[in-house]
Parts: sequence; C-alpha cells; structure tokens
Amino acid sequence: MVVLATLAPFQIATDPLNLTIQIAFLVGPIFLFMIFGQRFQLIQYQGDVGRGLSRLSLLRDKSKQTLMGYVTKRAPGNQEVSKKMDDFLEYFTIQPVSMDPSGIVKKMDHILTTQDDRIREEVSQLMPATNEVERSVIENMAGVAASMNQIYKVVRHFYLLGKKSANFYLIYQLYMILPTLLKQADALVMAMGTLEQGQPLGDGIGPMSVGLLMRDLPKSKVERDTVVAETSYKNRKVVLLKSEGPKGSLGELDDGLIKILEGEHNDTKAIIMIDAALKLEGEKTGDVAEGVGAAIGGYGVEKFKIEDAAYRKGIPLYAVIVKESIIEAIGAMKKEISESVGEVHKSIYRIVEQTVPENGKVVVIGVGNTLGVAQ
Amino acid sequence: MGAEVGSNQKQIVYTIEECPKCSTKNKRLFTQGDYIIKEAGKCPKCGATMFISAIYGEAPPKA
Repeated sequence: MVVLATLAPFQIATDPLNLTIQIAFLVGPIFLFMIFGQRFQLIQYQGDVGRGLSRLSLLRDKSKQTLMGYVTKRAPGNQEVSKKMDDFLEYFTIQPVSMDPSGIVKKMDHILTTQDDRIREEVSQLMPATNEVERSVIENMAGVAASMNQIYKVVRHFYLLGKKSANFYLIYQLYMILPTLLKQADALVMAMGTLEQGQPLGDGIGPMSVGLLMRDLPKSKVERDTVVAETSYKNRKVVLLKSEGPKGSLGELDDGLIKILEGEHNDTKAIIMIDAALKLEGEKTGDVAEGVGAAIGGYGVEKFKIEDAAYRKGIPLYAVIVKESIIEAIGAMKKEISESVGEVHKSIYRIVEQTVPENGKVVVIGVGNTLGVAQ
Repeated sequence: MGAEVGSNQKQIVYTIEECPKCSTKNKRLFTQGDYIIKEAGKCPKCGATMFISAIYGEAPPKA
C-alpha cells in the first residue's frame, strides 16, 4: 500500500491489476529483447544480406552479359561459344599441396602456366577469326566474370548456411563485409566495360611509364608477351622491360628478367620495378613513392623468382610505386594516375644516377596489365 | 546498399595526343582502337606526327 501511495503522484495506476499490466508492458519488452534480441537482429541482417545477394546476382549477370555480347559479336552463330564461356566461369585451379613447402613455387609456377596456356588455347580454338588484342580482352573479361561468379557463389553459400542454421555470427560477418564486396563487384562490372573498349587500366601505370620510355627504340621479344629495349641515360645503359601491349597481358617479366640477367646483361648494377600499389585510406591517388624490394603482385611466383635472381647475382632491387585503390586499379586509368608518369620518370632517373655508376647498366621493369598501352 | 549498378563510378575517357617535337597537346574523346604510343595525326603547330601519350577517365563535369 505504501508503494501504491508513493506511485500515485507519478500518474501510475494504483489498481493492482492495472499496475501489473503496466509493469508487464514496461519489463516485458526488456525480457523479450534479452531473450529474442539476437533473433530480431538476425532477421534484420538476413534481410539486408539477402538484398545484397540479389544485387550481387544482378552484377554477376551483367558481367556475364557483357562477356557474351563481346564474344558473340565476334563469333556470330557459334552455339558452342556460349556454352564454353559458361564453362570458363566455373573453371578452377587446384593449389599445390603445401605440407612440404620445399619447391612449392616451381609447382605453383607450373600449375599457373598450365592454367594460362589452357585458357589461351581454348580462346584461340573457339575464336580463330579474332586478333591477339581481342583474344586477350576475352581472356581478361572471362577472368573478371569468373571472379564475379565466385564472389556471388561464396556469399550465397554462407548466406544459405547461416540461414539454415540460424547462425547469427555467420550472417553478421556477411552483413559487415557486404558493402565492401558490393563496391568491388561494382568496380569489376565497370572494368568489363573498360576491358571491352581496350582502355588502359589503373594497374597499367607501370607498363605505361616504361612503354613511353621505349617509344621509337628498337624492341625485341625476350619471353612470351614480354619485350625489351635499350636506351642510355647520363652514360648509363638502361634496359627497359615490359609486357607486350596493347593487348591485355601481364607478360612473363620474371622469366624475361632471368633471361637477360643470364645473357648479355649479366653485369647489371641495379633493377628498378615500377608498379601500381594499393594505397591506404587517406592517401592520395597517383602519389609516387620510392622503396626497395620487388614491386610485383599476383600469387608470389614472379616475385619469388625475381627476388631469387637478384639475390643470387647480388643486384639491388629498387621499387617505384604509384598509389591507388583496388577499385582504381581494375577500372579505367584515372587522370591523377596517368599524370603521375612524369614523377615516375623523375624517380627512375634519380635512382639510376644515385645507384648506378657511369658506364654501368640498370634494368627498369614496368609491372602490370598493359591493356591499351603499347611500347 | 541499393544504389544503381555502377552509377557512382561513371566517367568520361579522354585520349591525349602529344607532339614529340613541340610538346603540343590535344585532348579528345577516346575512340575504340586508341592506345598509348599509337601514332596520331599531324601536329597543328609544327606538322610533326603526334602520338597518343595518355588515355584516362575523368568524372563528367557537373551541370
């Protein structure tokens, strides 16, 4: 009774039944959310992830349509092409076993070369009337469409798994990562258009920097899709190496470098690698930075071989990088990236002057996809 | 989530032609078949053969 009298001034019911109902309304939701709160969140996140998945499906279909459009335009009436492109999207590569890591790079190199050869052969057999550039575009586009397909299938797998087992943490992780995945998927779809047009990618800044230095010089092929040229700068011989453009190729820069270091350029005093590198949030696109080491991405096979060759011959490795985001790297080259070429050339010349004695020799390598960049 | 597919990344791609002699630059819209180092037309100033020195994308000018 004392309690009821105390509550009266606060406009709270003094009738025991009403009071019980009011308390139930006040406390009930707290208990409800304590017990079922996570379930409610799961439903909300599940809905968001489901919507994201639908968008990923849309993007995957769009990338596939772009690929099919490009291919069917060049092989009209060929029914096999469509089926083969579908097969490409499901193409997989089994990584070598790493229980005994000794010699794994050679095995990895062998498997990746087999993969490249297989795709190349399939495309040339399927589209014999196309030129080298078109075939490289198809290979690149098929790679992007396959990545999109893979992203979609992995997200769908975890979404369905989380839904089936009502696993809050699985769905929550997807919910957290999905905005980034969608951004990357958007960029991949945009990249399809860039590839289709044969425009240089953000990743092409390395080949572009070296390609411009190679202009008007006699060039020779040193490995598959890899060209070399020689010039001089202040009494130093500069050997330029890049993938052969304007087709979309990464070249075989590792094997090309090994070949020239073991051949007539075994007296090389320094190696300079130019590549696009991922910037951290807050860093400016197109900023140029200098460092040491092998500036090359990928699975690490090329990096290993270049580092090994440089180490065995005692040649210092220098790197010049142009900063950009992953989205900028796979999309059409942005103005800021393109305009960094002047700064890259200044860095190259500065390193050459500082590290290579007069009459010495330096190898400069442009790393990246050379689509839309000749030499 | 929920934006139009690729709507936030649209850009216009330009080709920059440069004269190797007098460094005159000419900016035009990209056309399929353009690539960096490709020979372009004659330089309007000195008549030398120009080449494509850059191809890049820029955000469209705001209306």
